[in-house]
Amino acid sequence: MSTETIVAAIHESITSRAPLRISGRSNWLSAGRPVKAQKALSLREDAGVVGYVSGDLTLTVRAGTTLAEIERVTGEHDQWLPLDPFGSSDGTIGATIATASAGPLATSFGLPRDLLLGLEFVNGRGEVVRGGGKVVKNVAGFDLSRLLTGSWGTLGVITEVSLRLYARPKVDRSFIITLGPDERATAALIRAIAASPLAPFSLELVNGNAARRLALGDKPQCIVRLGGNSAVVDVQLKALSQLARSEEVDQSIWTKFRELDRDANSVIRISSLPTRFLGTAAGIVADSPPDVVISINPQRGVMRLATLGTRESSSTGSAEDSVPTELLEAGKDSHTSLIFEKLPEDVWPVVSPSVVADSLSRGVRKVFDPYNILNPGILGD
Amino acid sequence: MPLSSQSSASTVAERLADIVGERHVLSRPSELLVYNSDGLPGYRRQPKLAVFPGTREETIAVVQLLAAEGLSFVPRGAGTGLSGGALADDIVVIGVHRLKQIISLDIENRRATVEPGVVNLRLNKFVAPHGLLYAPDPSSEAACTIGGNVAENAGGPHCLKYGVTLNHVLAITVVLPSGDVVELGSRTGERDGYDLRGAFIGSEGCFGLALDVTVKLTQRPQAVRTVLADFMSIDAAARVTSSIISSGIVPAALEFMDGPTIRVVESSIYAAGYPKDAEAILLIELDGLEAGVVADLEVVRQICLDGGARNVKVARDDAERLKLWQGRKKAFGAMGRLAPHLIVQDAVIPRTRLSEILAAIHAISEKYDVLVCNVFHAGDGNLHPNIAYSADDPDESERVHKAMTEIMRACIDVGGSITGEHGVGLDKMGYMESIFSEPSLNAMCELRGVFDPDHRSNPGKVVPIHSCKEWHSVTSARTREQALAGAHAATGEPPPLAAKPAHPSAQ
Repeated sequence: MSTETIVAAIHESITSRAPLRISGRSNWLSAGRPVKAQKALSLREDAGVVGYVSGDLTLTVRAGTTLAEIERVTGEHDQWLPLDPFGSSDGTIGATIATASAGPLATSFGLPRDLLLGLEFVNGRGEVVRGGGKVVKNVAGFDLSRLLTGSWGTLGVITEVSLRLYARPKVDRSFIITLGPDERATAALIRAIAASPLAPFSLELVNGNAARRLALGDKPQCIVRLGGNSAVVDVQLKALSQLARSEEVDQSIWTKFRELDRDANSVIRISSLPTRFLGTAAGIVADSPPDVVISINPQRGVMRLATLGTRESSSTGSAEDSVPTELLEAGKDSHTSLIFEKLPEDVWPVVSPSVVADSLSRGVRKVFDPYNILNPGILGD
Repeated sequence: MPLSSQSSASTVAERLADIVGERHVLSRPSELLVYNSDGLPGYRRQPKLAVFPGTREETIAVVQLLAAEGLSFVPRGAGTGLSGGALADDIVVIGVHRLKQIISLDIENRRATVEPGVVNLRLNKFVAPHGLLYAPDPSSEAACTIGGNVAENAGGPHCLKYGVTLNHVLAITVVLPSGDVVELGSRTGERDGYDLRGAFIGSEGCFGLALDVTVKLTQRPQAVRTVLADFMSIDAAARVTSSIISSGIVPAALEFMDGPTIRVVESSIYAAGYPKDAEAILLIELDGLEAGVVADLEVVRQICLDGGARNVKVARDDAERLKLWQGRKKAFGAMGRLAPHLIVQDAVIPRTRLSEILAAIHAISEKYDVLVCNVFHAGDGNLHPNIAYSADDPDESERVHKAMTEIMRACIDVGGSITGEHGVGLDKMGYMESIFSEPSLNAMCELRGVFDPDHRSNPGKVVPIHSCKEWHSVTSARTREQALAGAHAATGEPPPLAAKPAHPSAQ
């Protein structure tokens, strides 16, 4: 499979007026609004490393390359792509960039937009377009790479990406701190960490349900990942021990963490100023509905809630039943954004009909996909 | 109402004066002279008018007036750009330097909202007492504005570790060329939908004008160490750079200066105590937690010594550290001693190719008998070959431009980019076709068209207009300013540098 194959598929789709459902390995088709497509276009077969010079710490791969493969290839040179989005490492880098999916490592290494150097995509007219480049710094031309990141396939089919890599840390360890029922104590702990020399790779709070899924018992936990040279980790460990009692856990915790919302029927992210929602977040972790799995990244100001499949499906309930009420309330606050990743089909029009309804977004959509054939509807109309 | 006619220009000037006050509109050619170039003095364009709004409301009103009249304009920060990007060819300059309020500072959430005319260093001084910094630090930080930084997606030495402007801007309120106001990104959190904030950053004034910018602030590192390593060969310094990068240590900055640059700086008022007989120096800064910095410092010192460094010195205190940096940051200024004009490139190459490209640059400089000074962000592979010359000497000018074209070609050939932080502007527009295909350039044009359907905001920059398929065919007769192409009475204007000359209407 190659860019030409994608070009042909798009031309065919234009001619036959059959919109495409674009995906990586089709692992996550339940995410996003329902797509009005007639044909599937998977990038599964379009995988492989195009260019990797370890000394440059840059990597160019085809979009269908899995994160696991990238981990393996870069690992041979003691390097890594510090990107750990939710889902499994069987997901593709193309889908990760297209959906701007990030995980706990975003705390210290940034979002996909921060790690992306450039990309190639095929637009809705079947033209092969490149944005950015393969070097670590580049301002040539308008930034099509950032535009495509998080566009969910609606502006073009990403076929190749170039990424910035990092050296694997010499030391990389993770610790848990068991949280008590007092939400103020949790908020105080997070504030104390922010004020300390600690600069964790990742810092996540999880509620009891999530802790159970991570095999950490049923109490809320704070999970901290510390990495760097041994001196840096030692200093931070010392600082951590002055703040709370912690216990080391195996690094495999993060693989389980990424799978926290497997079989969830709704996944929602709430984002706000870290301080603004710290108190609420700590409260939610301490006392949350029985079937909601919650993880919070207090430093990014992002809370992620997954409602498990045990809840009544929306076909029998209303939208309000599927989305925790405190979330709907939070969404009304102008300082908070709600980002819906996955919802029961009939709930979408009620809670989030579109995120691209403004005139600039419509204009962008129109020029990149004039025939409306690329994942139509996934971001709304 | 063509602005090119004197009477309509004075009518527009009067109406602009009604908005911003008479003293904030310039229309006499002598007054406008100072706005006829940016930091790259080889290019000159004379604006028709310059207007300096003092508030957000005035800015919107100015843009709305120009929209109603169908007039083009160029947003301008401090004019320190190095790509000819802020030049206005017989059209209106909107200068933002009076928009200099720091609107809000949120210490705990580490963010600030500022007007576009706030000077980069002023923001840094403002947040420093709170243990914070704004990471992008272009060498022009003492003068350049945040609005200009956003337009250019500015970098700086410390972007090696901390990232460029796009990694530090959360939200931008923009007045579009139509006069409509939109908020891009989110001040308070992350959001979904298209990353229009990302698209706006680095759009070089072609997508509209920022009214305010919300930036992320970074905690000041606990410890900082600055290392000066000097070498008797350029090649050794280049190889050491590659070794440090591939060791996995991410220095806060890793800067390179070659012998000619060292000697220019050392004979200027910015003398930093660099060894004058060295062929190259590396300025390496490490920051972070004290213990980690100390450990990394030892590794870096060893790499330097193993790679042939003659001396590896660590700055003893802040004063010494600042002095070392002063020499680096003012190096471009110091080159004013050599000749009246300066041309500087901004290509980026893969960091493993540094040694061979520096050798190629040396060979090219000998071939054309020009003095190339190399002072650049080695850690990023972001080269800045400078040539000081006299634009009044046609023979020298021609050699300089031929040399620069060959240097650029060499960088492109190893998979590099034509610009890492200075922007395309006018200067590098001719190279765009060397790195982007026709559909890619057309896609950029179309994106611009969404923000600015009539191409009135900074017209004729970044993407050659003949690459804009639809816009060009539909509107070839539309914009009157373009009819003035070729009218610029530039002195010392560099000839087109590209393999393919820019389309005449693009100028």
